[in-house]
Amino acid sequence: MVTSEKSTGASSPTAPLALDLRSVDKHFGGTKALRGASLAVRPGTVHALLGGNGSGKSTAIKILAGVYEADAGELAIFGESHPLTGYTSTTAAAAGLRFVHQDLGLFEDLSIEENFALDAGYPRNAVGGVRWSVLRRQVAKVLAEYELDVDPRRPVHELRPSDRTMVAIARALQGADTERLILVLDEPTASLAAHESNLLLEKVRRLADRGQTVIIVSHRLQEVLSVAHDFTVFRDGRVAGVLVDAEPTEDELISIMAGGLVVALRPTGSESHTTARPMLEVKSMSSGPLRNVSFTAHEGEILGIAGLVGSGRSSLLQAIFGAFEPVSGTMSLGGAPYAPRTVDDAMRSGVGLVPENRVREAAFMDRSVRENLSVAMLAEYWSAKWMPRGRETRKAEELIKRFGVKVAGPSALFSSMSGGNQQKVVIARWLQRDPRVLLLDEPTQGVDVMSRADIYATIRRYAQAGCTVIVASSDMSELHALCDRILVLARGRITQDVLASDLDVDGLTSLVLREPSTRKTIYEPTLEETTTS
Amino acid sequence: MTDTSAPPASAPPAPATESVVTIKRTPLFARILENYALLILTALVFLFFSFYPASSAAFPTVNNLNVILGSQAVVALIAIAALFPLICGYFDFSLGATAAMAQVLSAGFMAKSGWPIWAAILVPILIAGVVGALNGFFVTRLHMSPFVTTLGMALLLSGITLWYTGGQTIISGIDPEITRFGSMRIIGLPVVVFLVLAVAAVAWYFFTHTPYGRSLYAIGSNAASARLVGVRVDRNVWWSFIVAALIAGGAGTMQLARMGSATASAGNELLFPALAAVFLGATAITPGFFNVWGTVIGAIFVSISVSGLTLSGASGWASNVFNGIALLAAVGLSTYLGRRKRRG
Repeated sequence: MVTSEKSTGASSPTAPLALDLRSVDKHFGGTKALRGASLAVRPGTVHALLGGNGSGKSTAIKILAGVYEADAGELAIFGESHPLTGYTSTTAAAAGLRFVHQDLGLFEDLSIEENFALDAGYPRNAVGGVRWSVLRRQVAKVLAEYELDVDPRRPVHELRPSDRTMVAIARALQGADTERLILVLDEPTASLAAHESNLLLEKVRRLADRGQTVIIVSHRLQEVLSVAHDFTVFRDGRVAGVLVDAEPTEDELISIMAGGLVVALRPTGSESHTTARPMLEVKSMSSGPLRNVSFTAHEGEILGIAGLVGSGRSSLLQAIFGAFEPVSGTMSLGGAPYAPRTVDDAMRSGVGLVPENRVREAAFMDRSVRENLSVAMLAEYWSAKWMPRGRETRKAEELIKRFGVKVAGPSALFSSMSGGNQQKVVIARWLQRDPRVLLLDEPTQGVDVMSRADIYATIRRYAQAGCTVIVASSDMSELHALCDRILVLARGRITQDVLASDLDVDGLTSLVLREPSTRKTIYEPTLEETTTS
Repeated sequence: MTDTSAPPASAPPAPATESVVTIKRTPLFARILENYALLILTALVFLFFSFYPASSAAFPTVNNLNVILGSQAVVALIAIAALFPLICGYFDFSLGATAAMAQVLSAGFMAKSGWPIWAAILVPILIAGVVGALNGFFVTRLHMSPFVTTLGMALLLSGITLWYTGGQTIISGIDPEITRFGSMRIIGLPVVVFLVLAVAAVAWYFFTHTPYGRSLYAIGSNAASARLVGVRVDRNVWWSFIVAALIAGGAGTMQLARMGSATASAGNELLFPALAAVFLGATAITPGFFNVWGTVIGAIFVSISVSGLTLSGASGWASNVFNGIALLAAVGLSTYLGRRKRRG
């Protein structure tokens, strides 16, 4: 079902394509990940590869990287054809493909120059020692080429996030004729805050202007739109659309990805369901990066926490969840004093947290979906002094259905699901407890557009039923679409308290980006009471 | 609310998006075969030694089976003990030495100090618990590497027991009640076998039907995630070391009951077959994961094989060679199964 909207026969007869991947099939067991998929990249362009989770775009990238072997298909790189059987990562590198993954593969504690040398080799002197001065000059030259104004001796972890990605890119492209290389960026901005992404994408665009061919895989459509020339959209392992030299809108891309199904990511100004009854009150909390934070979240309210990386968004949620004890300050929940010393305390008080890093902090990858769900209910199930698998399986089946999780069944492994479905399970884990306060930290990071719409709908449904939801996110459009009210956190202080309907995404973005250090805190606790009720 | 453009997004995805989620499932028969492969293998080994000319005379006799089951009961108990820290991802290398210490102390308290039998059994088990508490403290509070910590503890304990016995084997002065218990039989089987089965049943209940046991699996899978679903990670890991040491202490006094004497040792002759049993057990019942009944079957498999080899005329080194090979094969197989499972 190739809905070739605006689709052109991608292969132009004049210039050879930089990369031409044709009619690729790949299956895993009974699952067909790719069915005759293709990808045609023109030299010197930024080509965006898009698709929801499970669309096959990651599989295609892994085939290009030589991680998976394709079942069938053809591949030509700069006009030279490479058989896909026996194609390995070595072949990929020799053919001119360079990969920079979301996990950059940098040695964080080592200096930039050592990161380069570990990849390309150290320059040696006569007795085999390292010629540091030569290395430093070489690396400084490469850094200058990539517009990185940093000392090669600095450890990588001291760099700002976007520069780290650029170091990884520079390292991948070093020492070769870059016109004969194809740079593949796999979710390069997924872990970056919005302004860092912009810095990075700006540099990527300039690379392309210099003739660099780039393939970019990303979930963040707006970013892709700002940088890409051509677009290939995968759906269900097939090409759903190819747009060459086009400037589609975000909604157009979403409709191709979704297959004509119109999904409202942003209902225009949804009304708050809050009853204006205070549910969670935080008074002058200080902890970690947080400085004297006070706010009130109301019953049925979806409250957003906006702020840059390091502003204390996650710390705030974790402190409310009892993951660490605040240094000072008090909280009350539903009118009663609330001072969780452990996560267990917070759970018993009816608070749940979906953490930011799903893989590291929420998933039990090698356990089944059933176990991933029941793990938050152990104390409750224990009341019968018996935890039969049948009861948990039935409960899991019901949750899978209620939250629209695409999975083989309750006994399927958590790791077998796509990111979006994993996130749905993590959210279901908490919602099955019918929490009074649900804390969500980056609820849709690494989640495809379709699952994202499902997750938003779920959150709204529960808020409507009276659950207080607090969402921390670096995605301004997400906060704007989802929240009734948004607090802006900067360097551990609340600097703004705004109603989402009072401003647009750009307005919100500028509030967050505004340099806070020179400004005085605008926040007034009394003012906040009046704005919401 | 002008939620006009919002379709019921919670509705199942429209049929237009022809879903690619195909249910991938191993056929039932293959799954049963995988889950019970170790049990079948144990039966085959048993049949082999029963009919193999060199061992067929002595192997399949009631007496020999009693010896096999009785002597391996202690190993099985230590294997069950080792499960507790292993399930949450920690190694306890001191369990063999802890058992050996309990055995020597129990004998010594009766022979040297003339303590009543109940105190001579109870106190060494409690001392073992203290050892476990120390291990847990080092590992969870001081974040010391469990491997090296428990290895050091094993060395320390074996040194202390050697000092306590002065290198002598304690034979006389041990209350005959305890050895009588060790050789007691119910319906033809040693009582200790039933004791081990009882402990195994309690452990199984613990691991599958209590929040504590279930949380240990969660910790072993991802400690950070476990913490954020309300599991007291450090406390539970600490307790797993204590429970393991208590069971190992019990295994030590049981060994005294079986043998009627005690010699200072590092307890490795108990620990290594136990580890082989645990890792073999991770290939059965719920393949890829440590589990109680797999461990029990693993212990039986190891003991039957070693006994069969010995009765077929293999020399003393054979049991070490067999345990070594079994341990390597078991670790390899359970790692492979675990990885394959994770890959989905």
